[in-house]
Amino acid sequence: MRRDAFYSVHPAVNLAFFLFVMLITAFVLHPAVTGISLVAACIYAFYLKGRKALKFFLIFVLPVIVFVAALNPVFNHAGTTVLFYFKNGNAVTREAVLYGIVSACMFAALIMWCVCLSSVMTSDKYVCLFGKAIPTLSLVFSMVLRFVPRLFSRIKLCSQAQKSVAPSFGKNPVKAVRHGLSVLSATVTWALESAVNISDSMKSRGYGLPGRTSYSIYRFDRRDAVMGILMAVCFALSAAAMATKHIWFRFYPSVKYSGTDAFSVIGYAAFLILCMLPVILNVKENAEWRIIRSRL
Amino acid sequence: MANYKIEALTFTYPGGSAPALKELSFDVNEGEFLLVIGRSGCGKSTLLRHLKTVLSPHGERSGSVLFCEKTLSDIPEREQASRIGFVFQHPDDQIVTDKVWHELAFGLESLGVDQKVMRLRVAEMASYFGIEELFERDVAELSGGQKQLLNLASVMALGPDVLILDEPTSQLDPIAAFDFLSTVKRLNSELGITVILSEHRLEEAMPFADRVIVMEDGRITVCDTPKKAAAELYLSHSPMFGAMPTAAKIGCALGMTDPVPLTVNEGRKALMELGLSESLIPSGKAALRECGPAVEADGLFFRYEKDGADVLKGLSLKLFPGEIYGLVGGNGAGKSTLLSVISGVSIPYRGRLYIGGARKKAAFGAFEERVALLHQDPRTLFSADTVRADLEKAAKSRGTDRADERIAEAVALMDIADLLDRHPYDLSGGEQQRAAIAKVLLTEPKVLLLDEPTKGMDASIKAVFGRKLLELKKAGIAILLVSHDIEFCAEYADRAGFMFDGSIASENTTREFFCENTFYTTAANRIARDVFKNALLTEEVIRLAGKRE
Repeated sequence: MRRDAFYSVHPAVNLAFFLFVMLITAFVLHPAVTGISLVAACIYAFYLKGRKALKFFLIFVLPVIVFVAALNPVFNHAGTTVLFYFKNGNAVTREAVLYGIVSACMFAALIMWCVCLSSVMTSDKYVCLFGKAIPTLSLVFSMVLRFVPRLFSRIKLCSQAQKSVAPSFGKNPVKAVRHGLSVLSATVTWALESAVNISDSMKSRGYGLPGRTSYSIYRFDRRDAVMGILMAVCFALSAAAMATKHIWFRFYPSVKYSGTDAFSVIGYAAFLILCMLPVILNVKENAEWRIIRSRL
Repeated sequence: MANYKIEALTFTYPGGSAPALKELSFDVNEGEFLLVIGRSGCGKSTLLRHLKTVLSPHGERSGSVLFCEKTLSDIPEREQASRIGFVFQHPDDQIVTDKVWHELAFGLESLGVDQKVMRLRVAEMASYFGIEELFERDVAELSGGQKQLLNLASVMALGPDVLILDEPTSQLDPIAAFDFLSTVKRLNSELGITVILSEHRLEEAMPFADRVIVMEDGRITVCDTPKKAAAELYLSHSPMFGAMPTAAKIGCALGMTDPVPLTVNEGRKALMELGLSESLIPSGKAALRECGPAVEADGLFFRYEKDGADVLKGLSLKLFPGEIYGLVGGNGAGKSTLLSVISGVSIPYRGRLYIGGARKKAAFGAFEERVALLHQDPRTLFSADTVRADLEKAAKSRGTDRADERIAEAVALMDIADLLDRHPYDLSGGEQQRAAIAKVLLTEPKVLLLDEPTKGMDASIKAVFGRKLLELKKAGIAILLVSHDIEFCAEYADRAGFMFDGSIASENTTREFFCENTFYTTAANRIARDVFKNALLTEEVIRLAGKRE
């Protein structure tokens, strides 16, 4: 994965970004808004994951769009503008076709945002965010992340060690089960022993004393604050334009939408900036890097 | 001012017939480096655990433990957590969290330290211990030595006055162990932290200590400076003298009890002062090979992943029945990989492997070929509640004919008759190793592959284990011994090889092999090589030097 400037922003800002964008995407069904969201999500996903994201989009997301878009007019016959009739007499309306396309794009946009979310919001970022509220939670999470891989590698180790002193079981299921049980028994005994030692080590370092805090390697710096404020302003402006019906779209019974005025233009622009923020940040930092390098 | 004052401490485990600690009285002074030694099971760990209340075992206790002139158990847990640091034996079993930075912060989180102070302490520790580049890594990626350093660093983050270490290097290879002990010494001399260390590696640890406490059977028998303690142990014919550094053993045997040499350098000087004339040990003639090799590897290449680097690069090796082959070499040279190839778990992509003269192409069942591999951690093999049940289970899976007889043979050979009714996890490291070999012997192996068998064993247990290997050898088993323990290889191996970068860099009979090396050789050889060029063992040096006097 290539270096992502947005990844290095404070987790709270990361999470707020995805919340804002996905909220608007999910609740405002409007061709322009949905379109902006889908395009921005795709650009960011391609930026993050390159060809892998493109492959995912073409193989999985595109068929979903086509499927959902095609399915809606088949089952939904609301709307006033009839395009043609099926043989059974059901109407295919322009409104249903349009609604199908826009809602399919909305799904696609959410999926693509989730692709970005999963590579930006890694487990340690959730731990950092929720650890402050519940310090034990972040510790338990961290202990599980340590213990589970250890357990599996121990099972593998025991299995290999025991295979060298017992006849191979080939395809005999009884012997395979017996081998499995024996490995399990060795692993469980080891795990219990290890747990006793770990609990000594925890007690020795003061675990269980009241007033536990949680350490975080992330720092909230000025860039995070600027990003956060910018995001909040963009979200507020676009949400206000949508709430006051300056950005508004109706599918049924007939297509009707708000006209273009100053406020709606501001709203569109704000949403566009909001969606493109991670990409803008990357472009900005890459450009700065190149300028610094060229001056050397 | 004394950090600790222990008076008439006696302790009995619940249900124990005899006390584990008997009438112990001693002081630990501030800034002192105190070394606690003794054979496995002599009560070292029990004693160390009494120095921190949360770790003190349950049982019957009398006498007193004072910390900074206050009764230890009256000092609040919070204060003890930060002022008394404790590092345990197993590097892996102390690490609580998944990330290095989180582990460093763990103790501080428990104490409720605020973010700003935590940042400073964590940063300080990471840079003092040189683990900055590991900071954001997963703990699982670290080597054993790095893990133990992390454990030390995360204890030091709490700012302790006293550092207690219970056999911290027993699971590490010699280089990592020396690094670790040097770091502890540095903490002691640069920061004035009191160190209480229990240790088996006396070759390295003795010269660092200000004072040594020798424990035997729950009692303190000697408590003195390292040099005087070594002399006292020698003069009282204590069995613990066998664990002393080589220089001390040679020095004492040659009458140098005041002062006793401790380091290789001191040993060399002492030997030079005697003005001995050079002499050689007559080299024994090479053993005649009556039969073909039990294992023959011819130009093996192996890698774990298709695009990965080769781990074995054209490795060739012959292992004959009735010989012990000692394979030494650094970490990552491919020693463990070689064992997994010979035991049929991994398949080489080029080269030929013959077991008992027959060529092996695909993965084969090690059991059917009677090749037995014993993993470094013998606990991977135990799957029953007692050693006896474990052996019976193994014998049964092999087929029931003569099962009892075969168990009796293996038990007698490994001398574990008195351990049969104990739980495998309650045995000491050496006993576990012997019980595991007994289990392996039930498969009647022709080839025995041992991976670091002496890890964590003390000197006397090692000697017993070595004698058992010689008996197996006499029974005609080919033994491949992969070890960092040069002294052990030098004493028991017939031939030795040095593995480097995926192949065997040099190979010879043990004596010639080690004498050609300058670094990879025994301490006795390093001490005596100016006069006795090919003497490898302590006894040989003593014998040669004694003859001249």
